[in-house]
Amino acid sequence: MKAARRLLRLGHGALLALLAAYSLFPIYLMTIESLKPVEEDVFGSPVYVRHPSLEWYADLFEPRGWISHGALVTPTVPFLVWAKNTAIVFAAALAVILATSLAAGYALGRLRPPGWRWWRRVLFATFLVPQTLLFIPLYQLVFRLHLDDNLLALVLTYPLLAIPFCAWLFSAYFQKLSPEVEESAYIEGASRLSAFLRIVLPMSWPVVVAAGLFALGVISSDFMLAGVFLPNTWHQTIAVGLATMDVSLEDLTVVSGISMGGLPMLLIAGLFAASYVRGLTAAMIEGA
Amino acid sequence: MSHAVMAAANATIEHPSGRRGLARRRREVRTAYLLLAPAALLVFGVLAYPVGWEVWTSLTSSFVGGSAAAFVGLRNYAEFVRDAEFWRAAANTLGYLVLTTVLKLALGIAVALLLSRPFPGRPVAFIAAFLPWAYPGGLGLVGWYWFMIPPLHNAYSEFMSDLRYATDALLGQETWRFLTLVAFNVWRGGSFVGIFLLAALNGIPQDLFDYAALEVRSGWRKFWMVTVPLLRPFLALAAFLSIVTAVTDLGHVYLQSGMRITYPIVWTQAFHLAIIGGEWGKAAAESLILLPVLVLILFVCFWLFEPLEEDPL
Repeated sequence: MKAARRLLRLGHGALLALLAAYSLFPIYLMTIESLKPVEEDVFGSPVYVRHPSLEWYADLFEPRGWISHGALVTPTVPFLVWAKNTAIVFAAALAVILATSLAAGYALGRLRPPGWRWWRRVLFATFLVPQTLLFIPLYQLVFRLHLDDNLLALVLTYPLLAIPFCAWLFSAYFQKLSPEVEESAYIEGASRLSAFLRIVLPMSWPVVVAAGLFALGVISSDFMLAGVFLPNTWHQTIAVGLATMDVSLEDLTVVSGISMGGLPMLLIAGLFAASYVRGLTAAMIEGA
Repeated sequence: MSHAVMAAANATIEHPSGRRGLARRRREVRTAYLLLAPAALLVFGVLAYPVGWEVWTSLTSSFVGGSAAAFVGLRNYAEFVRDAEFWRAAANTLGYLVLTTVLKLALGIAVALLLSRPFPGRPVAFIAAFLPWAYPGGLGLVGWYWFMIPPLHNAYSEFMSDLRYATDALLGQETWRFLTLVAFNVWRGGSFVGIFLLAALNGIPQDLFDYAALEVRSGWRKFWMVTVPLLRPFLALAAFLSIVTAVTDLGHVYLQSGMRITYPIVWTQAFHLAIIGGEWGKAAAESLILLPVLVLILFVCFWLFEPLEEDPL
């Protein structure tokens, strides 16, 4: 019996190790690649690096147009500009998504206007609109609003990708959250708004984190809209900027750019991962 | 009981009849619509023109650089029904969606079950399992491109090319790129589904599993008769979200590969028709042609995850 249990634990551990290795392997490969000097990129091994250096990372922040690495001369990229653009777009889109989804979720889950279930389902159903060709009419729309080559075009269109699920999540949560939570505040004469801001919102932050991380995941995987709306190099986001590079031996610039750009997101994810899970549980099952 | 009746019943329970109650309810409904408006505007308002455009264009002979588009009714759609190439693409699309969804759900259940009970080092394993999804997909995509379709001789390109030729020789032209596409989607999506189901497992009371386990002894039967039914609504929601991301990823990967993936799938074929061929009418029709199937999937999912939308007892 004891031996069987030990075997079981060993199997569990082995599977976990496998899971971790599988999850991290692509990130590991990319990181290794980004640390390679030119010679190793051409002649080295794909799975380890002998002489790691941060030269390619340093190049990302290089203001000069061209940089030489021994015999190899490569163009630099305006990485700081891209990073700034990405930060602006993501922060603004995230704020819009969270504010509107929170309001919609509260309306549907708490106030329940007639047909609230259908509102929720129709919102959710917009996920189905095939995005393949959507960028053509969306570009026409953006162009007519004079937002082409403007970061605002993304702030306007990204919410579309995340609101359906975020609003669903919030409404499911508010539906399950006991009304007693606010009642004492109402008895003391608080308005709906102040009860929401002072009592409901502070206790709901895991759900806000869950919706926020989901939204970040969705908008940070976009690629098409950013590429179509922002043709100018100086107005691009990191992903699109790096994606337009297609010349061999710029690969090290690209890979170090990916690692650098991924780092903040990994930090955010690591910091909020536990709350993300708690928020999903609260919204789908428990309430609070 | 239908939803409308239930909603009405809720309303009367919360707000006993009487003039003051009614006035209050009316105010509440007004507030609700006001709060709903920004989200609805950003979704329906922004989508209205593009969707209308796509539907209208699919009914015309619109052609880039051609003369004025004429209304042709359903001819664009009808042409696809007779087109053998289209049916091949449709079969591939179905294969892609089924394959990625099954893999993601299987992987997701495994991840969730592995992480569901406490053990030393769980936070570390949990973060590792979370990272594939948390890693920005747009950047991951660029990485995918450089590794899977390596542009020049470097440390990994020879190995990757060997892998590609071996796969293509074994399974047919272009299979490798299709499989890398599947791998990209499964790596990201499996992580999402796993964490999603973990959140579900955390919320389902352990008693439910324990009681059910008394009835069913064997591990495998327990899995199918206890775990899967308890997780069913969450699996449905996860499956739906994963199908949506599979479709989105497809477009992105296709675009990033410089349209080099020639393995025909309905939406990439539509993309090709529009961008290379300039046949907007036909392309719009093709991108919409699977909508009935997707709507069907949506309704099945709605039906399956209905328990999540119920009021708590």
